[in-house]
Amino acid sequence: MWRGRAGALPAAIGALCRALPPGSRPAPETFRLAKFDRPEASLQIWRLLYSLLKQIHDGGWTELDTIGAQIRFVKSVLRYHGYGRPEFYQLPSDGSQGSRELLLAFSWLLIRISLLEQLLTVNRVKIGDEASVCTCEDNLSNSWKDRTETALEPCLKREVDVRYLQWLNGRLRFQWRSLHVDCQEQCKLLHKIHSYTSGCHMDQTIGHFSVTETDLIRQPDSYKQETVLDTLSEDANTFKSEDVCKEKNTLPNANLCCHIASNIIGEIDKLTKDLVTLHDGLHELVTCKKSAWYEKVKSRERILPDEREFCAAARTITEAVKLKLSDLKYHCAHKKNGMHGPYRLVFKDKRSASKKGFLSSVSKEPITNVVNATEVISKLQMEEAILKRELKRLQEECRHKLDVIAEGLVGVICIPPMKR
Amino acid sequence: MLAAGRARRLVSILSQALEDCAEQKKKLEDNLTLCRALLGDWKVQTPESPKPENGPKSDQESEPSPKELEELELLNRALERALRVRKSTLRNPSEALGEGKKAAEKKPATSAVRKQQAPLSKESVPNTIKVTSACKKAVSSKKLSAYMLKAPYRTDPVKAPTSQSSRAPKVAGKGSTKGAALQQARKTVPAASVSQQEFSAAAEPSGSPRSPLQQSSSSFGGSASAKNSIAVILQGVEPENDCPGSLAESPVTRSHTAGDIPVGSTMARTFTLQGKGSSLKLPRPYRKAYSRNSRQWEKCHLCQSSSATAAARSRFLERMQSTFCSSAPAFSPAEIEEGVMVLRDARSLLSQYMEAETTGYPIWEKEYECLLTLEGLQDTASQCLHKLQLLRAAAESQMVVYPADCAHKTGTSPADCAPLRGRRCGDTGVLATPLLFYSSCQELRDMATLKLQVVMLRQQIDIQKVLIAELLPILESRLPCGDSPSPLYRAIYTQLCEGGERFPVLMNDELPD
Repeated sequence: MWRGRAGALPAAIGALCRALPPGSRPAPETFRLAKFDRPEASLQIWRLLYSLLKQIHDGGWTELDTIGAQIRFVKSVLRYHGYGRPEFYQLPSDGSQGSRELLLAFSWLLIRISLLEQLLTVNRVKIGDEASVCTCEDNLSNSWKDRTETALEPCLKREVDVRYLQWLNGRLRFQWRSLHVDCQEQCKLLHKIHSYTSGCHMDQTIGHFSVTETDLIRQPDSYKQETVLDTLSEDANTFKSEDVCKEKNTLPNANLCCHIASNIIGEIDKLTKDLVTLHDGLHELVTCKKSAWYEKVKSRERILPDEREFCAAARTITEAVKLKLSDLKYHCAHKKNGMHGPYRLVFKDKRSASKKGFLSSVSKEPITNVVNATEVISKLQMEEAILKRELKRLQEECRHKLDVIAEGLVGVICIPPMKR
Repeated sequence: MLAAGRARRLVSILSQALEDCAEQKKKLEDNLTLCRALLGDWKVQTPESPKPENGPKSDQESEPSPKELEELELLNRALERALRVRKSTLRNPSEALGEGKKAAEKKPATSAVRKQQAPLSKESVPNTIKVTSACKKAVSSKKLSAYMLKAPYRTDPVKAPTSQSSRAPKVAGKGSTKGAALQQARKTVPAASVSQQEFSAAAEPSGSPRSPLQQSSSSFGGSASAKNSIAVILQGVEPENDCPGSLAESPVTRSHTAGDIPVGSTMARTFTLQGKGSSLKLPRPYRKAYSRNSRQWEKCHLCQSSSATAAARSRFLERMQSTFCSSAPAFSPAEIEEGVMVLRDARSLLSQYMEAETTGYPIWEKEYECLLTLEGLQDTASQCLHKLQLLRAAAESQMVVYPADCAHKTGTSPADCAPLRGRRCGDTGVLATPLLFYSSCQELRDMATLKLQVVMLRQQIDIQKVLIAELLPILESRLPCGDSPSPLYRAIYTQLCEGGERFPVLMNDELPD
């Protein structure tokens, strides 16, 4: 038990409360009450959990106002993250009891999903010029897909003219073009601001102001004097480990998890199909190469080097291949350490970099990731090439199918446009 | 009417895409306005200076044609060349004043200094590009004339000095600001606005004809390294026009020393980022907060990575885990989704490797290596498949376990589920904001272009798939119908196969009787 750390605990809890975002800050007293399983604390902790989890999960869409709905939301999020205490799920949906259970759940969340860190990331004041280099498909297109599927127009009773579709498409292309122009414009302006203010920032690794900082100087009054700080220097051992009873009850109720599960099963099936095709393709290639290899070996048996040399050479090759593939195997099994989330754009002129050297930034242990635009560009180029190929492939397929249809058209010859 | 079925999904997808685009554009425009404001005047105290910047221009939709962009490129290059020449003749960059004096010398009468000014609009203005120039040296003007841009750019028929306020509407384009040519720094032409002061002030006494495009060669900065000096030159050159109204500024802008904080200067009428950006200082509270912030991030990082903490955490998690239901599925939904993401990446990685190994090699060593690699790939692929099966089983058990509640849909909808696809993308371990270094404007632009391209391509692929699903069946089912499907065929062909850009040609195949 933690009796020896009695003094540190209240301070830690106080720090924890301060570290939570201002909108959802509980009183430290709540935690104390919860420890003794007082019913009055449970409602507050439910509310706390709801507001915190909503911030993390996409800012929430609809505001659930009844406590029952909020409790359901919290339960489903916890199930999503794999929390398995049956007592928690059996808590009543009017929030009248179970504050100790809730406290356990809260502590579990704090550790398991780094709740505080995520909250910080969500709530931090953005002072830099943000740029995101993440090209996660999930991030970009899924939300879009979800919205289009849920917002299907129910009122399209008439038939749609194909020219309307063409028009929409054309408008979309135009919008993209003008977006591109605006984007380029912004890059130029950003670059200007960065270079005009270079040398002014007190942080040497950054060296220049961002748009927000410059604006701060220009109009200091329009920025509230909010803290830009985080009060996160908590004692890590705020978590109490209670003696918990090891009941193995029936599984808890679920409301929403089945929706998620069905979505993911669909995706898994798609991916399985892809992987199976890939696997089969590889299998074919392997068999084919193997037979070619055996042919080669047979035909060259006379002129091959003697056996020992051959074996030695083969062994080195095997080692080399193993090395090459070990990297691949690692990446296939682990989460890609990609570049996610927002980055702060920093202009680092090559000349100034070589002049100053990176002494100032190297001296202390790096606590941030640093990424160079060149890496991002090459990654994006690869991504772009892949996507272009995919699009071309789809278009080719269509072309074939339409050619077939064209042959069926009576009295009409179709001449496709010239290939570029 | 070329009916194309209900095509509901298609219409909704396209409309959604349009909305998203418009949203992004709006955000970008807000940011752009802020940036432009920052690059322009900060303190415009003269009451007469008009502030028309965002007014009449914001509603004009304009897009530079490629031809315009090309010519702008030419312009920029020419000006850079001129600047290089100019720079080589300058000895001391801080003698911007000297330059001004030189100008005064060469043209004995300061009043003879030509003040040709015309507002320069941003490159987004399709039709008019006008450049102001304030530096008038005989030498420079000779060089300048060589670089006058020709025909495509309409000249601004601005004559009367009183038309300064009316000049604003002439400068079309979103939020573009008038700029002295000086402000068209570096390779790019967008107008960062500059003191409308100087502009308006200089406009008054000018009776000299305005030539359409005259640029001061010295007004274009060429490289980042000399930016301060350039800025000084630019500033120094600016108030060349010794017209009475602008005299006030000239000493100010000329007294450009590092450490000048514009606020304190009583004579400061204008402040531009370009001129004095390098002397700015963030307000004290901010600086204090910032350093406190970074110190706390460091402390936090230390805290997080201490081993005692890690041990305590894992102990706690283990104890909690032991109280969980043992019959729960092996993977939580979050883990399943993460696993699927990993395997998706694995698949693309594998196919990349596979493509690299499809060629045959003449040397037996290479061939052997290729064979072994392929075998390894196959092995990995089967491992991935196996993992995928496990994940699927876990997902199914999630479903199976709670079937009763799946039927209970009151109050819950798919929309409630969607929020759970929260911030999965992202490394929750990293604390402080990571930094992205770029070393040139071109890099930044390339990066932005590529990002947009990737998003657009993804969208196009999705749209293409929906098009295939919805439009192809129409053609396939209409064949038996009697009336000529040619226009429909043509339209659908264009959309599906050419991205809506080019059309096939359909000819009637009728033999003459």
